[in-house]
Amino acid sequence: MGAFDLLRIAGSSLGMHQTWLDALGHNIANANTVSSTGEDAFRAQYVVARSRADGGVDVSGVALGDAEGRMVHSPDHPLADADGYVRLPEIDMSSQMTQLVMAQRGFQASVQVTKNAQETYNAALQIGRA
Amino acid sequence: MSIGGIEGIGGLAGAGFTPFQAPRIDGAGGAGGIGGTSGIGGPGGLGGTQGVAGGSSFSDLVLDGIDRLEGVQDKASTLGVQAATGQLDNIHDYTLAASQAQVTTQLTVAVRNKAVEAFTEIMRMPI
Repeated sequence: MGAFDLLRIAGSSLGMHQTWLDALGHNIANANTVSSTGEDAFRAQYVVARSRADGGVDVSGVALGDAEGRMVHSPDHPLADADGYVRLPEIDMSSQMTQLVMAQRGFQASVQVTKNAQETYNAALQIGRA
Repeated sequence: MSIGGIEGIGGLAGAGFTPFQAPRIDGAGGAGGIGGTSGIGGPGGLGGTQGVAGGSSFSDLVLDGIDRLEGVQDKASTLGVQAATGQLDNIHDYTLAASQAQVTTQLTVAVRNKAVEAFTEIMRMPI
């Protein structure tokens, strides 16, 4: 399907940005997820993108953030340990929101690429038409 | 191809004009698919100047195109059913397949119209 390479490339970009948006939503959803000090904190997901040799982009993997998190003194919490500490994930909310805007804009840009591709193909169909 | 014409103008002017080389992405050999449309020139060959070989390759081209169109439309309708039944993972998978099917259909119709046009043109020829 070589004639539709541009659509395929834009599609791969849409897929990557959607995975990125999913990961960001997951991180933001769990920004306040508390765990006990005996177990890992929620680990933020970071999507790793890699360009494809034949054009386009792939998600090559998902890197996980810090399992250490930060210790918060909250003696009333049911998960608190003997000293009254719980573990909260180390997620920078402002960074997550910035990336959310970036991922959204990237997705929208790829949608625009597909629109332009379709317009281009339609223009090619006009060649030789009376 | 057509750029060669520009090159020829450069030759007249005596200047060493080098035509613009479009960048190529590896594996983008699919442009051959578009190049296939030049087979439309086939019916022109039936005029007797080029020989008859163009005729069979043109019909092959049309049949191939229709086969491929069927595949693309099947894919789009499968994804459409998945979208309707809530089994679709990515919305853009469907919208991209649908627009690909639309463009492919229009291309096939354009080729068919050109073929019919060429046929009627020949039929109108006074004997």
